[in-house]
Order: sequence, then structure tokens, then C-alpha cells
Amino acid sequence: MNQETSTSAAATDVVIRLVGESGEGTVTLGDVMVEMFTQMGLDIYTFQTFPAEIKGGTVMYQIRARSGTTLSPGDSVQILVALNKAGFSLFGTGLADGSILLYNSDVFSPPPDPNRVDISLPVTTLAREQKEAVRHEISGEALKRLPAPINTVGLGALMTLVNAPLEPAEAYLNKVFGRKGEAVVRMNISALRIGAEHVRAQIGEHRLPSVFPKPILAPRMMVTGNQMTSIGSLAAGLQFYAGYPITPATEIMEFLARELPAFGGTLVQAEDEIAALAMCIGAANAGAKAMTATSGPGLSLMAELLNLAGQAEIPVVVIDVQRGGASTGLPTKASQGDLNLAIYGMHNESPRIVIGSTSVEDAFWTAIEAMNLAEEYQVPVILLSDQSLATRRSTVPPPEISNISITNRLLPSEDELGPDYHRYRDTPNGISPMALPGMIGGMYTTTGIEHNEKGDPAYTPENATKMKAKRFRKMDAVIEKHGERLVRHWGVGGDADIGIIAYGSLEGIVREATQRALDDGINVAHLHLRLLQPFPTEVVQQFAARCRTLLVPEMTWSGQLANWILINTGLNVERLTKDDGIPFRPSQVYARIRSLYDQITGGASHE
Amino acid sequence: MSNLAVSADKALTPRDYKSDLAPIWCPGCGDFGVLSAMFKAMSVCNLDPVKTVIISGIGCSSRLPGFVATYGFHGVHGRGLPIATGIKCARPDLNVIVVGGDGDGYSIGGGHLPHIARRNPDITYLVMNNNTYGLTKGQVSPTSMVPLASMEARIDPKRWKTTPYGSTEDPINPVALAVAMDCSFVARGFSYKPNQLADLLVEAMRHRGFSLVDVFSPCPTFNQDQTDEFYKRTTYDIPMDHDPTDRLKAFELASNMESYPLGILYQRPDKASILDEQEALRTRFQGHGSLSELISRFS
Repeated sequence: MNQETSTSAAATDVVIRLVGESGEGTVTLGDVMVEMFTQMGLDIYTFQTFPAEIKGGTVMYQIRARSGTTLSPGDSVQILVALNKAGFSLFGTGLADGSILLYNSDVFSPPPDPNRVDISLPVTTLAREQKEAVRHEISGEALKRLPAPINTVGLGALMTLVNAPLEPAEAYLNKVFGRKGEAVVRMNISALRIGAEHVRAQIGEHRLPSVFPKPILAPRMMVTGNQMTSIGSLAAGLQFYAGYPITPATEIMEFLARELPAFGGTLVQAEDEIAALAMCIGAANAGAKAMTATSGPGLSLMAELLNLAGQAEIPVVVIDVQRGGASTGLPTKASQGDLNLAIYGMHNESPRIVIGSTSVEDAFWTAIEAMNLAEEYQVPVILLSDQSLATRRSTVPPPEISNISITNRLLPSEDELGPDYHRYRDTPNGISPMALPGMIGGMYTTTGIEHNEKGDPAYTPENATKMKAKRFRKMDAVIEKHGERLVRHWGVGGDADIGIIAYGSLEGIVREATQRALDDGINVAHLHLRLLQPFPTEVVQQFAARCRTLLVPEMTWSGQLANWILINTGLNVERLTKDDGIPFRPSQVYARIRSLYDQITGGASHE
Repeated sequence: MSNLAVSADKALTPRDYKSDLAPIWCPGCGDFGVLSAMFKAMSVCNLDPVKTVIISGIGCSSRLPGFVATYGFHGVHGRGLPIATGIKCARPDLNVIVVGGDGDGYSIGGGHLPHIARRNPDITYLVMNNNTYGLTKGQVSPTSMVPLASMEARIDPKRWKTTPYGSTEDPINPVALAVAMDCSFVARGFSYKPNQLADLLVEAMRHRGFSLVDVFSPCPTFNQDQTDEFYKRTTYDIPMDHDPTDRLKAFELASNMESYPLGILYQRPDKASILDEQEALRTRFQGHGSLSELISRFS
């Protein structure tokens, strides 16, 4: 349960932040660094924020490279690479003491800071010089299309800043530029070396935050959360997808547009989110496993249809890759602010399930979970993800395919079909065998109107009560069967000073903060919720019973999860909220753990 | 629907498509005529009830699926078309028919019409157009022809409850819109001409692609202007020599707002369908889907 906290000399834990003008190579440089670190056997956790515009604005790409499991984007940045001044102004804070700033001296000079080592790199000038050197060897057209190797100069500088050998980078350049000819390769190798030399000349006695290559012992994937969600949905047996483009969920549709046909499935780009969910509901009603993915504004549009799916008992999965809000809000940034919408966003009341994926690795399993739950209980399932885990790339162990288990909806048997078949038969757990078009003896009309067991419209108060109870009984069944399974326990197993309850992408961040507190001798337990609705009340109450104080960190303004816990359990918790688009740093959670601990122990310090 | 799923065992009569639910419509409602024309058309096509789904939105006419002995889907206001698209794309083997009213199809659901016309799936869409909102008891609909009134002279508020002073809003012309959208089959019928309507529905169901049949289906309770008498007076049959593949002629016919041509206005049999594309993709990539390959691609 405890994460690896090796402190041997060969342990790597480096946080690098790259900032620059969007569309001008910052992301490419980040991707190449990630590739280098991955080849060195390190675990990667990236975090990116994009401007909402296609071109222009500042992009930030943070990379944490670590030997051993990487749970969070890290706390303070050791190396900041600022390719423009705006990026430096926006993201130049939160640096560790003694951190290194590598700045593009062609465009700006930072004000001096005694806590920082500044290294200048005239990256554009150096890159142009390298291009000049090979100009005579390359034909006119190719020369025009050949960019100056700005990123390669940056790569050489960065590799040197982390004390890494240049050989892997050279091999990489050979691979990438090989087909463009020897001169282009030479230009890039020379750019790499000039970047390295330029840094080496300025480092002096400064100690570098080194990375240490380690052997790759097991296969790993380098994926984003959205990609893992998509692969998970294919593993779950997805057959139909309809969606409408919306940041930061679009990548799921783009991925499935390429892959779904090979799995025998069908994808439609709908005219809006309402049509997207309507199509999914139609496909699901006809027997397909169906899913859509959207973000908060799209989920709002789907509210009416979610109730149709709840009322008419249609299995369908809606992924909400949450983003900052409200309204257009912070469309390229992270939030957990759609929890209320996911849980309460409905007219009147109908059953639904809300679950959250917690990490890039977990996104695969939660996508399967979502489809399985939808099928088992014939309800809409909202899967909450968020921008931070959806768009970041991480190294993760590949999922063990043999661990996948698939649930299919309950269909009527031959005996059940016929004149006495009732689509909405009232059963002990509320789940009724669902006939599909084509089944002889199963004909019924799906309807959102209150209906009797047969499916015919029926308006008596007795029937309304009976059928609502039938539908909501399925939620009791969810808790009974899955309530204990769909949480994760971290930290101490017994009595705890502080108990942390969280959901979604906070899992790794809270685990890291918890570990730090445990190292300091503070007993912290961490209950991570995967199932949010129906709420696992008993599990939370049992957890609360062994904790002196409860803390709920979440990326919302008002404390939506804390409120949801209060409503379900009567427990009043300490709140740690933040909804500014940027995920918590482990140190922010740790600081609150520490101050709470000091409060309950009367200010006694452990250090 | 080029490849209709038909009943294998026997020829079904119109009665065989009647469910045991009695329609809830007012006496004299045009929708009764539409329903019987539908039974007849389904019988002519000998549709397999078990492999037929009738989808609707919300409104008086949207209650129709319950009255037909097939699978049905009484959905959400305005969303019959996308629900049907999902059903048909997931199960191309099914006969898919959508029904609804003018408010459902041309107002709240109007945004779906151009897109289903673009996608052109084998779906038949039957709109029972009564030029009013009946289920909410008489407000203007997008096809209402509300008289203009001066600010001084109120018109009968019992008839047009949300436009008691008249309206300057032109009614939309659904068939002209559909021709403009290049909807691959556009026809208009009249519920008081059930035999013609049944014929139109048969043609629509047999059409390969998306077909729209707009039907004047008068509301005797909330619309005393566009009555059966009104439409008997103002409609006429499209001349035999009309070539429905001539889009400009079709648009000219459809644009007539003085009197209303009944019959097939426009048909484009060769328009591509999303269903063919999807089928081609599945065939092309069939058997290529491998989870372990997908995972290793990221390793």
C-alpha cells in the first residue's frame, strides 16, 4: 500500500516545466523529453495546460520523471524552461529553492533572483546558425520547409541540465530525421550538442537535479487518460458511440472513430449533445452497448435524456471529462465541478449511477466498470473524468487482459417471452429482463411516461409508487453488490488522526500527501471513492468511525463532495476546495493535514 | 427502406398491426386517418412487426407507437429522429419509422432534420401536421397560420393562446425546407385521403434513404382554421407528369403556399447513406480489432 520511497543515490525525482507560445514547439519539446525519460526506464507523469485558443497564448507542459510509481505532477519545479516572456510571467512561480531557469535569451531577460540559477540560451539564434551551416547542402524547396532546429537545441540543453547522456537523444534524432537525409540529421545532432555545450559552460558548481537511467523490467504504456478510457470502453464491448466535439473530451471520439469499426462498432458524429445521447439511447435500446463522451456544457444538454434512460431503464454510458467552468469557463483546465450536475442534474428523480476514474491507469478499468454497471442495472451511468487526467500522458503498466470481466444485460429467456412477457416486471432487485427488437413475444413500447410492468402508460398513484420503488430498488442492489468494492483504501488501516475522503484524479495527489504525513508520524487514512451515486453510505460511515477528523479535498468552489457526504451520512467534514483550473499539489493537501493535526493535538509538533 | 424486414410466415392484414391499446385522441382527430393509413401501408409492405420499431417524440400524435403492434419507442420531445438514427445504425436489420407532430419535428426537434437528411439513413419520418400545439391545448406551432391582427383588434384568444394579438411570424414550409435540405424523399399527404396516404407511406418505406412524409392531420379541438374542410379546399394532387427527381420543379411545387400539392414532391434515389458507409467500414476492418494489439501500440 505504501508507495516506493527509495532515497538511494540512483533515485530520480525531477520536475521540469516548459512554457512557451502555443503552437511554437513547446509541446513537441515536452513530448521528446518524455520519450527520452521513458527510454531511460523512468516513470512519467505529465501535466499540461493549454490556452483556449488554437494559436497564441501560453502553453505549460510539466513533466515529472521518477524512478518508481509517480502519483502526482509533483510539488515544486526544479527546472523551468521559459521559451517566451509571457510564459515566464505566468508560470515562473512555484519553483524550488535553487531551481534552474533556462530562458530564451533571444526574446527576454528575467529579473535576477538569488534563489534561482539562470541559464541563458539564445535558442533561436543557435538554431538558425545550425541551419545556415547546412544550407548549401539542401535543395531550395526542402530548405524552405526545413525549420530551424529550435527544439533540438532545447533538447540538448535540457538533457545536460538533468545530467543525462546525449547518446539516447542522438539515437532518437537519427531515427526521426533519418529519412530526411544525412545533412538534416547532422544539423540536428550539432544543434543538440551546441545546446548542451551552451548549458555546460554556465553551470559551474551548481548541483543538477540528475536523472538516472534504470533498466526497463516490465512493459509499460505511455498514454493519456482519454486514450485509456477509450481502450477500456472497447474492452467493455462498446458497439455504438455518438458524440459532439467538446474540449477536453474530443480525443475519445477521435480515438474511437479510428478504432471502433475494427471492433465491429459504429460511430456517429452528432449535430449536438442532445442528439448524441439520443442516438446512444436508441442504439442501446436496440441492444448495443452505447456510450458518449462530453464535458460539463454538453452534460447539461443531456439532462432531459438522462432521465428518459433512467425512467425507461436503458443502459447507456455518458463520460464527462470535467473542465473549469461555469459556462465556457476554463475549457482547457481541470475541475471537479460537475459532481452536482452528475448527481442532481435531472427533473424529478430517476435512478442513475455516477462513478469516477482516478488515474490514467484506472481510466481503463473504470470505463469497463461503467459499461458493466449500465448493462447490469439498465440505467444511465455517468463516468466523471477531468481534464488533468484525461489529457496528461503517463507511463502505466499495461492492463492485465485476463482480469477483465464483462457483464451483459439481462435478456428474457424463451420461456419468459410470449403473451405474458412484461418488459418492466417487478423483481426483488428491480432488474427486469429486457426484450430487444427482433425477439418474438417481446414487443413493447419504450416510454418515458409512467407505465405499468407491461410498459403501457399508467397513471394511478399506486402504480407510480410501485414502479418508482422498483426502479430505485436497483440502486440498493448496486450498493449491496458493489458498494464495498468500488472504493479504495490507502494510508493506515486502523485508527487514524486524519481521514481523507476524495474522488477522481485526486487519488495520486492525496496518496502522495498521505505518504508524506505517514513519514512524519501522522496517522492518515485515505478513502478514495469510485462510486459516488448511489452513495456508499455505510462504507463511509465505517471509515469515519476510525478517524478523528475528516478532510475532503476537491476541485470545486463550494465543496460539492463535502456536501454530498453530509447529505448522505450527516458527517460534517473539513473542506479543502480549489477550483482555479489547476490540480492540487501534494504539498497543499499535506499542509492542511499538518494544520489539522496540529489543531487536534493542541499544536504539538512532531518534528 | 430498400431492404424491408418482412413477415416470413404469412401475409399480414392491417388489423394484425393493431395493438390492444385504444388511441387517446379526440373524436374527429386527423391522426385516426393517419393510423389506419399506416396499418394499411405496413400490411402492403408486409412488415415483420417483430423487426419493426416505431419511434416518436412527445405530443398527441407521438402517442401512436403504443397503438401499433410492433416494438415502439415513445421518447423525448423533439428527439425522435436521433433516437431512430441510433436504433437504425446499431441495428440496420430493423424497419425504423418515426412519427410525431409539427411542433415536435419542426420546432423543438427542427435542428435534427437537416442532419438526418445529410446522413440519409433508411428511416421513414411521418409528421402529423395539425398547425397547432394540441397536447398543450392550442398555442402557435411553427406551421400555424395565425391571422394578423391590428393592435386594437384582438383575435380569438381561445384559439391562439400565446398570440392573442396575432402574429407576424410566417409559418415554415416543411416540404420546401426538406427539398432545400436535399432530403432524399419528400411527400405530402392528407389524413382525409387515407388511400393516397397509405400509398405514399408504402413508397416512403420502400425508398432507400431518409423519407419525410408531411401529413395534414387537422386538430378539430384547437384549430378551427386549418380544418379538414380547409384542406379539402386548398389541396390538390400533384400532376402525373411531375418528375420527382427534378429538384427545382420539386421546390417550385413545394413552395406553393396558396394551395398545397399532395403526393411525392421530390425523390433522389442515388443519395449516399451513412448506413452504407458504416457497413463498408465494418467490413473493411472486420476482425482487425485486437485489444492486446491496441495496448501494445502504446507500449
